[in-house]
Amino acid sequence: MEQIIANGLYLGAQYALIALGLTLIFSLMNVLNFAHGQMYVFGGFVTYTVVVQLGLPFIVGLFASAIVLAIMGAAIEKFLFAPVIRRSKRDESTMLLAAGIAFFLDAVILLAFGEKQRGVPKIVNGVFNWDMRIIMPYDRILIGVLAILLIVVFIGFMNYSRTGRAMRALAQDKMAAQLMGVNVARYSMIGFALGAMLAGLVGGLLVTITGVNLGMGGPTSVKAFLMIMIGGAGVISGAIAGGFILGMMESVGLTVLSAYGDITYLVIFATLMVFLAVRPQGLMGKPWG
Amino acid sequence: MTNILSVENIELYYDHIYALKGVSIDVAEGETVALIGANGAGKSSILRAITGLRPLKSGRILYQGERLDGASASDIVRRGISMVPEGRRAFPLMSVKDNLLMGAFTRTDKAEIEQTLESVLTRFPRLRERYHQQASTMSGGEQQMMVIGRALMARPKLLLLDEPSLGIAPKLVQDIARAIVAISRDEKVSILLVEQNSRMALSISNRAYALSTGSIALSGNSRELMNDDRIKAAYLGGEL
Ligand SMILES: Nc1ncnc2c1ncn2[C@@H]1O[C@H](COP(=O)(O)OP(=O)(O)O)[C@@H](O)[C@H]1O
Ligand SMILES: [Mg+2]
Repeated sequence: MEQIIANGLYLGAQYALIALGLTLIFSLMNVLNFAHGQMYVFGGFVTYTVVVQLGLPFIVGLFASAIVLAIMGAAIEKFLFAPVIRRSKRDESTMLLAAGIAFFLDAVILLAFGEKQRGVPKIVNGVFNWDMRIIMPYDRILIGVLAILLIVVFIGFMNYSRTGRAMRALAQDKMAAQLMGVNVARYSMIGFALGAMLAGLVGGLLVTITGVNLGMGGPTSVKAFLMIMIGGAGVISGAIAGGFILGMMESVGLTVLSAYGDITYLVIFATLMVFLAVRPQGLMGKPWG
Repeated sequence: MTNILSVENIELYYDHIYALKGVSIDVAEGETVALIGANGAGKSSILRAITGLRPLKSGRILYQGERLDGASASDIVRRGISMVPEGRRAFPLMSVKDNLLMGAFTRTDKAEIEQTLESVLTRFPRLRERYHQQASTMSGGEQQMMVIGRALMARPKLLLLDEPSLGIAPKLVQDIARAIVAISRDEKVSILLVEQNSRMALSISNRAYALSTGSIALSGNSRELMNDDRIKAAYLGGEL
């Protein structure tokens, strides 16, 4: 039991960070970023390159992932999403664009990093063992704690900084935010960069535990959508709730359902369909999306 | 008296349908000017043109003697024009505090922002009581006070109010009218007040313009307009 909860928390913290980035982009621009999973994979490969190929410390790799993905996110927003949103009034246009970017990033990852699974050597050794009730390698604990720390920093930033407040304002009422002097183009770009940066950071964190490979992008995007549908799209608390709930469900599923084969996600999807039929806006869904 | 704002012969279109065809309006330094007219006359469109939310088709807008049209909405706020939009447009999931702080978004003078905040909370004591409450949980009247306070947080030189009495309980309309008079008296601010409640607007303004389907039908001293038969017939009838 304790083991399941610990695994769920560890996984949930990573998931929540991914969902936070996705929901931030969605709430600011009404864009569902289908390329979010690819950004996560890209972040993992950046850390891998810095740590394994260049031989630099893990923390440098993590920073590199954050910076590379933030720049990538800013550029994608400025040169692709912003012009499309300006010219097209239809939501499908940005969806198509996002899907196109996902395929494009897959191709870039293949060219730049190859199709092999890549990992980073353990950053700390040893295993935590609490009376055989919770057994968890120290590196997982460290990564889990780092992820939770990042969530706390992100929430603090959104709630108490001037930039964070402006992004919340933009998400809640674009016109009113403009009237306060918020430059919509600029803050949409910052928001997209921040969302991509979060995806990249999780990639950098998880490459030390599970490694990354090209094929993980798409499934990760799907999981991220699940999380924000569970929690309610566009809501910070919803993304966090969705992340931890999915993490927990996976953790429970892998332990309890393993006897019946690989059906965890089948059960999760079925449960989610019933849940969304009852509560389509998700747990914390708000009228503004 | 010098004009802080001169709207000169502006035309504004939505797609191919005109909303304003040749509107001119002046607001002098320190003055409160009312803009009245029926629903759909184009009152909000004038404010959208001033704040840079909609582009002009022709004409120009001068603010403090300089061209304003063509500037971005965020630049216009920085130059000292704040608007309280129609329907209030509070940030619903933010606290009163964060709503007010958003009003000071363009300012960086921390200590002075605190002072302005204090003066807004003193002006609207209800906001102090509700300081940490989420905006969407407040009544329409309280939200209206809050968004007026939010606009004041920018320390504007020109304040644009779009139907502050809309959907507010009649008793609170008086409070809002008093607040507008007090703001005009205490702050160095000129006010352009858009209202369908013509009686209220004429009673608290120096001058007024009556707008009818995209052009100015009448203008003049508010007190005189209040007794003008045409105004009485067209704008004051229903509310007596
Ligand atoms: N976003 C819009 N798109 C198309 N037409 C609009 C839009 N906003 C306003 N209009 C039209 O422009 C005219 C003036 O509207 P508005 O300025 O909002 O009037 P008022 O504020 O006096 O009620 C109306 O006929 C209205 O239908
Ligand atoms: Mg209007």
